[in-house]
Amino acid sequence: MRLFLAILICKLSRAAIRLLGRGGTSLPGKLALRIHPHIIKVLSKGIDTVLITGTNGKTTTARMTEKMLNDAGKDCFANRSGANLEQGIAIEYIANANAFGRAKKKYAVIECDEAAFKKVCPETCPKAVLVTNIFRDQLDRFGEISETINSIKEGLKNSPHTVLCLNADCSLTSSLAIDRQGKTVFYGINEGGDSLPCVSDANHCIRCGAVYNYEYRTFAHLGSFSCPDCGYKRQSPDISVSKIEYLGRDSSEIIIKEGKNEFKAEIALPALYNIYNALAAMSAAYALGISAENAAKSLSGIKSSFGRMESFIIGESRIKMILVKNPAGCDRAIEYMSGSTEKFDAVICLNDAPSDGTDISWIWDCDFEGLFENESCSKIIVSGTRARDMRLRLKYAGGDESRMTIIDDDAELIKAVLALRNQVYIMPTYSAMLKLRGSLAELGGKKEYWK
Amino acid sequence: MKLKICHLYPDILNLYGDRGNVMCMQKRLMWRNIEAEITQVPYGDNSSLSDFDIFFIGGGQDFELGLLISDLKTGKGDNIKAAVNDGKSFLCICGGYQIMGRSYELRDGTKYDYLGALAVHTVSGKSRNIGNTITDTKDYGAIVGFENHIGMTYLDEGVVPLGKIRLGFGNNGEDGTEGAIYKNVICTYQHGPVLPKNPVLCDAILETALKRKYGRADLAPLDDTFENEAHDSVIKALMDRQK
Ligand SMILES: [Zn+2]
Repeated sequence: MRLFLAILICKLSRAAIRLLGRGGTSLPGKLALRIHPHIIKVLSKGIDTVLITGTNGKTTTARMTEKMLNDAGKDCFANRSGANLEQGIAIEYIANANAFGRAKKKYAVIECDEAAFKKVCPETCPKAVLVTNIFRDQLDRFGEISETINSIKEGLKNSPHTVLCLNADCSLTSSLAIDRQGKTVFYGINEGGDSLPCVSDANHCIRCGAVYNYEYRTFAHLGSFSCPDCGYKRQSPDISVSKIEYLGRDSSEIIIKEGKNEFKAEIALPALYNIYNALAAMSAAYALGISAENAAKSLSGIKSSFGRMESFIIGESRIKMILVKNPAGCDRAIEYMSGSTEKFDAVICLNDAPSDGTDISWIWDCDFEGLFENESCSKIIVSGTRARDMRLRLKYAGGDESRMTIIDDDAELIKAVLALRNQVYIMPTYSAMLKLRGSLAELGGKKEYWK
Repeated sequence: MKLKICHLYPDILNLYGDRGNVMCMQKRLMWRNIEAEITQVPYGDNSSLSDFDIFFIGGGQDFELGLLISDLKTGKGDNIKAAVNDGKSFLCICGGYQIMGRSYELRDGTKYDYLGALAVHTVSGKSRNIGNTITDTKDYGAIVGFENHIGMTYLDEGVVPLGKIRLGFGNNGEDGTEGAIYKNVICTYQHGPVLPKNPVLCDAILETALKRKYGRADLAPLDDTFENEAHDSVIKALMDRQK
């Protein structure tokens, strides 16, 4: 009875809210959880769930995994909007159930916030857990990186039958396998350079504190690490990229190795971090019984998702939106922009709402200097609740003061963006992305994600 | 003129954008045609510190702070204390502030002995104190920043705090103080990073170091429009939210 009521309330309130034309709300899930606190546990029974967590790449990896499952004939549902706390996840399981709790689809691809993971993981009894990477992120919420790791460890404690898919190149992530019983699938990239990051999240061994040696790095603290003192080192990956043949601005071509098998794959998204996302998704699909070779075929048809390298064409305006949340992700975005050979204009929207992180000091850990290294970046518009902090950071990065404009008003910002004639890159934080994407999608005739 | 700035433990104490403080000192010297030389002195590097004019120590994660104790005992700790007593300028943030004190006591009773350069000590609190801060100071006006710490620091009698906390937790959430000042050492829990948005504080540190070295400072005024607008807008937003 309680289950029936919880499902009913959630479905009704969700329908009502959508009638009002709104999408991103967790209220129906909140109501359902209040009536039935373990509704996820009940409704996830009999469903093979892939739970995806980690600092960066959760949403894109989830989209890739979803496509791999669907292409393999495994019909799945997912929390596409990126509502990745317990309430948002509850809503998806409820939407997949009929009024009596019977599941429609038998597979779920769920992205989960790292802090919510300790609660959500035991509830969903996942078939596979995928951890993409661990970087510093929203330390106002997580306190310290070690607390993020502990939250994931805590969530995994009572699930020895879950297959754990881990990024072998991230010393923080791969430490989750230390002392754990159960199967692990490691993935990684087998080549890299020797570039040193300005600010690293993991110089010292997580087990003993000694300074890591690196055979090579791919980016930030990712690479082939080993501890000279205690012997903790990169695990040899089960699924890996043995060679990057082509790394372009819209796609890449890689050689993937799985066991003795080597094959070529094309990823229809740019940049190295999307190669990691692709490997991550392949590992999750692999854990659900799909061969890496079949999973890789899905990668050529992947589209960018919700504010992550998403393109908008509105009239003569060409706009690309790149969500930024933390230094590692932001540095990748800056790298991508500054790699542009044509002139571009940049729009940076820095908010400090709880969903963005109330601490904006991370902008000083990003290399905005990269924006000004060549002449490609023409104009910069700065907006958001912490626009003036952002403008100051850009001044220190070498930004020409006369080229930077602050626009506080949302409507005026959209107007100014549409007046730009170069390629436009918008870098918003999460709450700014939701708002801007809504306006741009409407103008560009895109559907809202929940339709 | 030239100032030599030592960035201590950039490999371990590098959270919350604190490297922005070093950038700030460097650029504000550069913009006045004063040379700035930055040297990073990481964990395990035991070279002499006697040549530097300014020291910066940032904040780090608690488990990494534990790493520092053995490194401080290799002689680096004594060198740091000597520099303090020499009247060198220091800016120490959060974890950097704590290691300048006498000790850090965990909730299970474990006690780490730190440098004791300042007559303060820190004990671990029940929960982290996280949020925007405003501190009213006598010499630098209102300072804005962001705190994120579990340690509660208590000042011995006679130790001067940096200021009075207007918004936030400050040293310990009890006595209304924030930070500490001793000789030319300025300690604070405020990240942000603290210097770019509080240029008065940055210039005070530079001026002290220049005077000590050259007997005079005369820092030319800079166009601080962006700095002041950032400073004022944050204070306004925070005070509006309080209402
Ligand atoms: Zn080790």
